[in-house]
Amino acid sequence: MPIELILFLLLFATAVVIARLKDLFAAAMLTGIFSLVSAGLFTLMDAVDVAFTEAAVGAGISTILMLGTLSMTTRNEDQQPFRWLPLLVVLITGAVLITGTLDMPAYGDFQAPAHQHELYAGFIETTKEEIGHIPNIVTVILGSFRGYDTLGETTVIFTAAVGVFLLLGHRMKRRQDPASDAQPDEPSEAGGES
Amino acid sequence: MSDARPPVRDQRPPMRMREKLILRVVSKALIPFILLFALYVQFHGDFGPGGGFQAGVIFAAGLVLYGVIFGLSSLEHVISPRLVEIGVALGVLLFGGVGVACLVLGAGQEGVGNFLDYNVLSSHGGEGVDAHGQHLGILLVELGVGITVASSMLGIFYMFAGRSRPEDDS
Amino acid sequence: MTTLELIAAALLCLGTFFCLVGGVGIHRMPDFYTRTHAASITDTLGAGLMLIGLMFLCEGQHWTVPVKLGMVLVFVLLTSPTSGHALVKAAAAEGVRWVTEPSPESSPDMEDSEEEA
Repeated sequence: MPIELILFLLLFATAVVIARLKDLFAAAMLTGIFSLVSAGLFTLMDAVDVAFTEAAVGAGISTILMLGTLSMTTRNEDQQPFRWLPLLVVLITGAVLITGTLDMPAYGDFQAPAHQHELYAGFIETTKEEIGHIPNIVTVILGSFRGYDTLGETTVIFTAAVGVFLLLGHRMKRRQDPASDAQPDEPSEAGGES
Repeated sequence: MSDARPPVRDQRPPMRMREKLILRVVSKALIPFILLFALYVQFHGDFGPGGGFQAGVIFAAGLVLYGVIFGLSSLEHVISPRLVEIGVALGVLLFGGVGVACLVLGAGQEGVGNFLDYNVLSSHGGEGVDAHGQHLGILLVELGVGITVASSMLGIFYMFAGRSRPEDDS
Repeated sequence: MTTLELIAAALLCLGTFFCLVGGVGIHRMPDFYTRTHAASITDTLGAGLMLIGLMFLCEGQHWTVPVKLGMVLVFVLLTSPTSGHALVKAAAAEGVRWVTEPSPESSPDMEDSEEEA
């Protein structure tokens, strides 16, 4: 319990700092730290697959892509004037959400409806008895019991990539100038240093 | 934006390869292990945490590291943008293909089989839940997911890295 | 507690101490390069000693568990100094200035006027 409290406080502090920073480079780095702390929280909740994906995607690729985006635009955000209405909307929405979570069952409660439903028990028993080769129930649910959902997710990723290709792709043919990336050395220098 | 001034990139030339000696040596030592770990995560997803999504992201991250250190043209030599475009679609095709194969293989008296019903995939015959068929189906499906995710991440990186000169915009 | 547990506890405490040292150093150091050095202490000494301490706690587990911890240790010791090096190299190429000498009063928390190197 105490370590989860500390991690949640760290998450909260990081979120506040990301919102307040004007330097977008530092904000992108802090987003990576946010993802890493979330991955730690997921591991503490015994959801190791989710933690793995969060660490790989959030702290790895997402930071690189955000930095790549930043290289195309300005580094500092312009100063925004303070406005009351968005703050009010956010506070009201947050209060409503927190009030909603007060009704939820305790974490890991056996009597919770999500655990009592026969589908949950059916998954576990079918995996144990019949699909005996595969110990990881998360993969079995993702791949076999809920295979349609995974097909949909893969199609979403495919569509996102195609969208990016369509929006930015026309630059690919023009990028022939040799000075736009780190150029390899001339052969004489490369041979001399090995 | 108040000014119309374009963002100014630093005027110094990019770092030459000779100046990046430590980075080059360390990444040359590590990138094969990163790619191997991605394959391990892909195929070990049945027994531990892992699966297609994580493996695809790790694979793409290893290749992005190569591209950042050794130059984008070297990376395009290894994996051309055309291959990335093919890979993005190939993964979804593999996934859907497994489903269609289940349709075809399950054809019996009642007509065609069920989409993504892996029990008919094994050669033992498909009555009830068959472990071999399920295993094969999950393996192929996760492979498709991994290929699509890796190609998508690499392709998005190509798009971003390929236009890092803002003053080229027409 | 057995001897192995005592050694592991000592190493974990030492690793935590070095992480704390790194955190304090990031606050107190005057310029970017010394702050990066303090951060890299967290990565190498802090994480390294904690991993070595954890390797001593693998009683009654499969032999692959300390081997995996050792491999994580090798990976961390290989990549953290490299990333620190890359950071400092990029900063030096960018022209981030550094403090060349302390002021004559030699008070540690006085921000000196940077001198061009």
